[in-house]
Amino acid sequence: MVTKKPGDEVTNLESGRRTDEWSQCLRAIAKHRDRTAFARFFRHFAPLIKAFALSGSTLSANHADELVQEVMLKVWQKADGFNPDKASASTWVYTIARNCRTDLYRRLQKFDTPLSADDVSLDQDGDEPAVMLHQRRTRDRVRVMMDTLPADQAHILAKVYMEGKSHSEVASELDLPLGTVKSRVRLAIQKLQIQMED
Amino acid sequence: MAKFHPDLDMLTEFTAGTLSLAQSACVSMHLSYCTKCQEISEAQTVMAANLFEDLEPVSVSDSQLDIVMSRLDEDAPLTYSKDAYAKEAGTPAILQRLMHGDFSDLNWKKITSSLRISYLSTGDPYYEFALYHIKAGGVIPEHNHQGSEMTLVLEGGFSDSDGTYHAGDFLFREAGDVHSPAALADQDCICLAVLDAPLKFTRLRHRWMNPFLQLKAS
Ligand SMILES: [Zn+2]
Repeated sequence: MVTKKPGDEVTNLESGRRTDEWSQCLRAIAKHRDRTAFARFFRHFAPLIKAFALSGSTLSANHADELVQEVMLKVWQKADGFNPDKASASTWVYTIARNCRTDLYRRLQKFDTPLSADDVSLDQDGDEPAVMLHQRRTRDRVRVMMDTLPADQAHILAKVYMEGKSHSEVASELDLPLGTVKSRVRLAIQKLQIQMED
Repeated sequence: MAKFHPDLDMLTEFTAGTLSLAQSACVSMHLSYCTKCQEISEAQTVMAANLFEDLEPVSVSDSQLDIVMSRLDEDAPLTYSKDAYAKEAGTPAILQRLMHGDFSDLNWKKITSSLRISYLSTGDPYYEFALYHIKAGGVIPEHNHQGSEMTLVLEGGFSDSDGTYHAGDFLFREAGDVHSPAALADQDCICLAVLDAPLKFTRLRHRWMNPFLQLKAS
């Protein structure tokens, strides 16, 4: 579980700042409109976005491709707003993908709404150093927590967050009582909260 | 600081993006008052991003990359700053977008001498999204819920048999709960209610009110 992948964060001890390949890639995209960097970013993240699109299982392959394109275009357009002190590159991309997928579902259901998923999702704003320090700490602790999570809890979390299933959908799919599903999700999140309170 | 919060299940569905639009909007507005829930949701987002990184990649053809590369020069869609809206007044940004003005510009429907309701359109077909204005000291007749009801206090406060709620406080009532909220005596109360079925007043003498409450968001 501790194997290093490209894109894993490396701490620069001298400055104490976290840098990683994908954050630098995003910076090159934002600052220099660097298409080579963008292509590299695409090759890494597009397959994850496609996996995310298809994990919900209700989207067709065409819609999954449409989602990949939409998310990657947003990456290009919004790269300027990416702040590595606030979120890791993968958290930033995940947030875009999640919101685009939600909007796509709503479009497919013919929702006519003045609100986008972006509008109702949590702003990752806050330039105050305290907030940023706090967010960095959160990142580290979540990683630690995830690495020690029992398989059954990780499995349910993946259904909830990646497949976008409600607790009751997960319960009927895994043939588990609703209470069991809820308590496994809660348990994982409570572990997270305990970590953060230290 | 808010004292009443959405439970963990609801925050989880909010963060996962699976909560319905109208309910998401309500939870999101609570978050604008509540750093505690913000932190939980943030941590959940980071957790979800970890799961995202661990997904089994599904191959994307080079032609997809070509399509995207060829579209990079397209104009980015216009965006607006959420902050600009938020700072204009004390009202949450989402609400300002939906209201096109302030509370006094809304189309209020009078229900009783102390209660008026204005429906806002979120486009969510499953949930009504409405503002309740209760006069200082006014009481909403005892009613039960056919469906669930989410409430977020925006101004003033109210109390019922379970407690007293102020701006930022979030309540969720299951179907079948009976309660009779009363606005605090010193200030009018404005709250947001997200309902999945029209309210039905339980007392016979208020039966006539039902048609009003069933008015759909336009
Ligand atoms: Zn809260």
